[in-house]
Amino acid sequence: METDIRFTHKSIVEQCKAGNTSSQYELYSYYVDAMYNVGMRFLGNTEDAEDIVQDSFVDAFKNLENFKYESTFGAWLKRIVINKSINHLKAKRVPVIPMDAHELCLTDEEPSEADTTDIGKVKKGIDLLPDGYREIINLYLIEGYDHVEIGEILGISTSTSKSQYHRAKKKLLDIINEL
Amino acid sequence: MDNFEKHIRSNAGQFNGHKADRAKIWAKIAADLNREEPKVIPLWRRPIFRIAASVLLLVGVTAFLGSTWIGMGENTQYVSEELMEIDMYYKDLVSYQVQLVEKNPSLSKEDKTEFLSFMDELDAEYDVLKQEMQKNLDNERVLEAIVGNYKKRIELIENLLRQLNDSKKLEDDYEYTL
Repeated sequence: METDIRFTHKSIVEQCKAGNTSSQYELYSYYVDAMYNVGMRFLGNTEDAEDIVQDSFVDAFKNLENFKYESTFGAWLKRIVINKSINHLKAKRVPVIPMDAHELCLTDEEPSEADTTDIGKVKKGIDLLPDGYREIINLYLIEGYDHVEIGEILGISTSTSKSQYHRAKKKLLDIINEL
Repeated sequence: MDNFEKHIRSNAGQFNGHKADRAKIWAKIAADLNREEPKVIPLWRRPIFRIAASVLLLVGVTAFLGSTWIGMGENTQYVSEELMEIDMYYKDLVSYQVQLVEKNPSLSKEDKTEFLSFMDELDAEYDVLKQEMQKNLDNERVLEAIVGNYKKRIELIENLLRQLNDSKKLEDDYEYTL
């Protein structure tokens, strides 16, 4: 059945594969905002996010023949943006923030969930997280990847992904409660 | 998944508050795609290189086949062992007789050079015939011509040697009469 979600925009994608510029622009206009937001969440500034989005679209159009509808085009593209964002952060991050350094600040009690319904506060809280924590919170909570996928993206094991996510979440809730 | 996680995931759309500067980003993408397109096409995918590669391949194959054919021709220039033996036999005979002539003390230098120039002519003829044979392995006329060529040389040498011997005899006779 061609109604499968993976085949969304299939005809446009096929025209892009054939090198049709107006189809490329059409596909771009469908996804640019979503990809820009992904970039902004990871990189936190307009310039970097724009650069990554631009790079990702160029890469996507150049390598479109490798896209075989195993996922939606959007998911494929988003993965490119995320990989590029994470590589960018890795290159920029001079001292890698050791996750364990934050462990001492954490308590075992679950923080109360009083203010977490306020999305604005959650956004602020995420922005205040250290890069490593923000990456994993973004990947799991907002981008919706599972720990197996996050393990692949970050090059860590599934269990490391889980434990780091839990630490990051505690840290986030702490920050939100202090806001 | 706890309530917090469910809440965030169900409201993930609210995290997409930013609006991209579409025109600016697209301008860069379009420029990048246009600029890098010729670079991106691998050399072997460009039509002109395909044609060039085909021509090169054709030339290469022809050269390779040609060289192996010539190589084969050189290896099989003697159609049979018999022919090779004949060739060897005459070659040895001729070179032996040429040496005889060269070493003969009773021949004048002029006579030697004259004789050897004849032999050189026949050598050149022989080379042409050999080349002809590579082209026409089974051409009997070429084979006959080669054998004829050898025979002529031997005949020449034999004549020369006979003349020498005759003159010797004459000299001997003359001595006797004295």
